[in-house]
Amino acid sequence: MKKKGVKGTNWVLTVILLICCLTVFFPLYMTVIIAFKQPSEMTNNVAGALAFPSSWSFSNFAEAMEVTDFWHSLGNSLLITVIAIAGAIILHSIGGYAIGRNMTKKKGYRWIYYYIVSGMFVPFAILMMPLVKQTAQLGIANRAGVILLYIVFYMPINIMLYTGYLKNIPLAMEEAAEIDGATTWVAFKKVIFPMMKPMHATVAVLTALGTWNDVMTPLVIMSGTGQTTLPLAQLNFQTQFGTNYNLAFASYLLALIPILIFYVVCQKQIIGGIANGAVKG
Amino acid sequence: MKTKKAMSHKDKTFLAMIIPVVVLFFAFNTLPLIKGAIYSFTNYRGYGSYDWVGFRNYIDLFTDIRVGNSYLFTFKYAIAGTILVNVLSLMLAIGLCSKIRCKSFLRGVYFVPNILGGLIVGYIFSFIFTYILPAAGEALNIGFLQNSILADERYAWIGVLIVGVWQAAAMNTIIYISGIQTVPADIYEAGMIDGANAWQTFRKLTLPMLMPFVSINLVLSTKNLLMVFDQIMSLTKGGPAQSTESISYLIYKNGMDGGQFGFQSANAVLFFVVIVTISIIQMKLTSRKEEQL
Amino acid sequence: MNAKKTTALVLAAIIPAALALSGCSDTKSGDVTVIELVQYKPEAVAAFEKIEQRFNETHDDVQLRIESPNEAMTILKTRFIREDYPDIVGIGGDINYSNFLDSDMFMDISDFEGISKVKPVYTEMENALHFLPVDGVYSLPYVANCAGILYNKDMFEEHGWTIPQTWSEFIELCEQIQTEGIQPLYFGYKDVWTCLSPWNSLAVALAPADTCSMVNSGETTFSKEYRETAEKMQTLLEYGEPNPYAYSYNDACTAFARGESAMFTIGSYAVPQIKSVNPDMNIDSFTFPANENESDNVLTSGIDLQFCVMSECENKEAAYEVLSFLCEEETVQIYLDDQNAIPCLEGDFTLPSMLDGMRSYIDSGRMSDFHDHHYPSEMSVDAMVQTFLMDKSENAVDTFLTRFDTEWVRYNRDLIKKVRDYEKGASE
Repeated sequence: MKKKGVKGTNWVLTVILLICCLTVFFPLYMTVIIAFKQPSEMTNNVAGALAFPSSWSFSNFAEAMEVTDFWHSLGNSLLITVIAIAGAIILHSIGGYAIGRNMTKKKGYRWIYYYIVSGMFVPFAILMMPLVKQTAQLGIANRAGVILLYIVFYMPINIMLYTGYLKNIPLAMEEAAEIDGATTWVAFKKVIFPMMKPMHATVAVLTALGTWNDVMTPLVIMSGTGQTTLPLAQLNFQTQFGTNYNLAFASYLLALIPILIFYVVCQKQIIGGIANGAVKG
Repeated sequence: MKTKKAMSHKDKTFLAMIIPVVVLFFAFNTLPLIKGAIYSFTNYRGYGSYDWVGFRNYIDLFTDIRVGNSYLFTFKYAIAGTILVNVLSLMLAIGLCSKIRCKSFLRGVYFVPNILGGLIVGYIFSFIFTYILPAAGEALNIGFLQNSILADERYAWIGVLIVGVWQAAAMNTIIYISGIQTVPADIYEAGMIDGANAWQTFRKLTLPMLMPFVSINLVLSTKNLLMVFDQIMSLTKGGPAQSTESISYLIYKNGMDGGQFGFQSANAVLFFVVIVTISIIQMKLTSRKEEQL
Repeated sequence: MNAKKTTALVLAAIIPAALALSGCSDTKSGDVTVIELVQYKPEAVAAFEKIEQRFNETHDDVQLRIESPNEAMTILKTRFIREDYPDIVGIGGDINYSNFLDSDMFMDISDFEGISKVKPVYTEMENALHFLPVDGVYSLPYVANCAGILYNKDMFEEHGWTIPQTWSEFIELCEQIQTEGIQPLYFGYKDVWTCLSPWNSLAVALAPADTCSMVNSGETTFSKEYRETAEKMQTLLEYGEPNPYAYSYNDACTAFARGESAMFTIGSYAVPQIKSVNPDMNIDSFTFPANENESDNVLTSGIDLQFCVMSECENKEAAYEVLSFLCEEETVQIYLDDQNAIPCLEGDFTLPSMLDGMRSYIDSGRMSDFHDHHYPSEMSVDAMVQTFLMDKSENAVDTFLTRFDTEWVRYNRDLIKKVRDYEKGASE
C-alpha cells in the first residue's frame, strides 16, 4: 500500500453504520437481560420485559454451565469445529485449486465442479438416515464421523469460494515459480496457498458458523456415545411443555463468545489480503 | 481422434489433488442421496418394513395441496430474500470496507445475528412482533402494526423474511468483504484521479471485479433461502393456518418426525432437481455477465 | 511420484485421523448383565436418576442404565436404523407406539406378572392403539397424564365462582367472569399443538372413543362425529384473548400465571412451567364439561409413559427384573411425586393436589384417551384445527370437516387398506 488514503475518516458513514447497529443491539439487549433474570421475573408486559433484572447476579450463568457440563461440551464443540475447519481449508483449497486451474480448459474438471457444487442443494433430511447407517457401518458414529461429515457438507460452498477466488489470482504467479523449477504441488504449497489467506479466513468463518450451532448432525450421528456438544447440551433447557429461557439465554451467550472472538481474529486476516500486493508483481 | 497423449506430470498432480475430494464427496453425499432416493419409491416410515409403491409418491406430490403451497411460500420467500440480502450485504460490505472508525467493532456487531441460536431468535422476535410492535402501533396509531404480523396468514411470511434477511446478511457480507479485498487499491485511486464519482467507480471498476463474488453470493443466498428451515422452526412452526410451511420444513417434519419418509424423500428429490436447475441458470447468467464486463 | 504422494497425504490425513478419534468405549462388565433403558421424557430425568440409583444399589447381577435424551424419538429412530437397540424403551401411548408395534419391534411380555397390575381402563387404551388385533401383550402402561381445564383457585374463591358441571354452566361461568372484567380463558394457539388440548377434551366427551378406527373400517365419518366438537371449539374463542394465534404456549403460561385469565384449557403437564413464573400460585383443575349432562362427561387421560421390551433384547429375565422393580409401589411413587402424574397401575398412591378436581373421574375410571394419539403426526391435525379456527367464513365447519375426512383417507390409505383387508379376511 502507498501512503494514506486520499480522504480521512468517513464520519457520515461511521455514524450511519453505528445507528444501524441498533437492529442488532436491541435483540442482544433483550437476550442479556433475560439471561440475568429469574423465571419469576418473566412477563408479557412490554415495559416489564425491557426492564433491568432485579439483580445482576451471575447465578444463571453458573447454573447453565453446570446443566450443560460446560467445559466438556465446549471441549467437544471446539475439537469438532477446529478439526473440521483445518480439514476444510486443506482439502477444499487443494480441490478448489485443481478445479479452478483446469475447468476452463478441461471438460472433466468443469463437470466435477458442477457435480460437487450441486451437492449443496441436497436437503439434509434425505441424507440423514442413509448417513446414520453408513457411519455406523464404518464405525464412525462418533465425533470423528461428525467431523468428516462437516468436511463433506461444506465442500460445495468452499470449493465454489476457492475457485471463485482463484479467478483473481493471475496464472503468472505459479508460472513464475514453475520456471524456477518448482513442481505444481510445490508451487501450490509455497505460492498459491499462502496467497489464498483471506479466503482461508472466510472459509474458516463460514465453516465455523455452520458447525458451531449445528444440532442435527451430532444429534443423529453421536447419540449414544456419551459425548455431547454445546448445542446438544443446550437442548436440556427446552422440553415440549416448558422452556427455561433464562438459563438457556445465559448458556447461549456463553457459547457465543468463542465464535465471536474467532470471527474477529479471522477478519484481521481477511483485511489487507493478497490483491494489493499480488497484481503489482 | 488423436491418440491419447501421455499425461504430463502437471496433469497427474492435478488428478491426484482432485481424486480424494471426489471420492469423499461421492461416499458421503452422492451415495446417501442415491440410497435416500431409492426410498422415494416406497412407503417407508423410517423404520420397520415397507412396500414398493412405484411412482405413487411422485404422482402424489403434484396433487398434494400442502406441497404445492410450500413451494409457493418458499419461492416467494427466496426471491424477495435473495434481492434484499444481496443489496443489503453488498452495501454493508462496502460500508465496512470504507475508511470508517470502529471497523473491527462494527464488523463484529453485524456478524452477531448469524450466530444467535434459534431459541433466542424465536423468543426475541416473537416478543417483538407479538408485544412490542403492536404496543408501538397502538401508541402511534398505526393500524397495520396493531396485530402481530406473525398471526396473520397474509403477512406472516414477511415477518419470517425480516428475520431471515437479518440473519443471512451477515454471511453474504463476509463473502463480499473478502471479495472487496481482491480489488486492488490502485483501481480506486486511478478512478479518483480521473475524477470519477463514487457511483461510477463502483459501477465501472469495483463491480466488475466483484462479479465472481456476486455470482457466488447469489447462488449461496438463493440456496440458503430456498432451504429456509431454522427461522420457520423458531418463529412460526409453519403457521398461522399453515401459511409458512417451507419445503425443507415439510420434508423434515413429515419425513423425520412423521411417518412419511418415503413420500418426503420423493419431495426432496424433486426439490433437489428444482434448485439445481435454478442454480445452473443463475450461474450461466452471471458468468455471461462476468465475461461481458 | 508427487501425484501419488499428494493423494496419499490427503487421504492419510483425513481418514485415520477420523478413525483414531473414534476409539470406541465398549465396556463389558464381567458377568453383570447390563440393561439399557431409553425413555422419552427428558423432563423426568431427575426421577429416573433416582430410580436407576435405587435399582443398582439393590441388584448385583443386573445393572440398569437409564437414558433420558432430548429429542428422544429422533434418537430412537436413528438408533433403530443403526440396529443399535436398547433393551427397554419408555415411550408414550401414541401413534409412534402403534407404528413401532406394527413394525414388529417389541417383544411379547404377556408372561410378565406385573401386567396384571395395570388398571383395565389403560389396558383398553393400549389395545385401542393396535392397528390390527394382536396376540400377546407388548407394553406395560406406567403413568398417565390428563387434560381438561386448569383454573386459578384463589381467583375462583375470591369471586365465589363454582366449578361448572355442564356445557351451559361452563358458558354461563365464562360470561360471568367476563362481566366482572376478567378474561375467562387464555389460548396459546400460535403453537399449534395447544389447539389440540381443548380439542381432545371436547372430542373425548362428544365423539366415540374409537372414532378413528371406526373411520378406518368405514363405519362412520369425521364429518358426522366431530361436528359438535368443531362448533364448540369456535364458541370457546369468544372467551379468550383477541387474536389468540399471536400468542405462544409460553405466553399463555405466563399470562395465566400472572392472573391475566381465570382458566387455561391445557393439561396438568403445563403446571411446572406456570409455577416457574409464579411459584406461589394455587392451581387446581376440572374435567372439561363438554356435555349438557354431567354423567356424559369423560376425563381426557392417556398413557404418557409405558415400557416396551425390544424384540432384540437378549436378556429377557434381566429385563423383567427391571420391569418388576419399576412396578414396585415406592418406585412408582418416586415418579408420581416428581412429575404430577397418574399411575396406570393399581395400588395405594398419593396423587398430586392439582388433580383434586379430577379425582372422582380418575378413581372411577371415567377416562378416555386423547384422540390425537390416533392421528398420524404428518397429517398435522393441530395445524388444521388452527386453520379452521382462523377461518371466519360461514361454512368454516363444513370446510374443515370435509378436509378432515379427505386428508384422513389420504394420509392413512395404506393403513385403511390393511384394516379392510384384515376385516375381509376375518369375515370370510
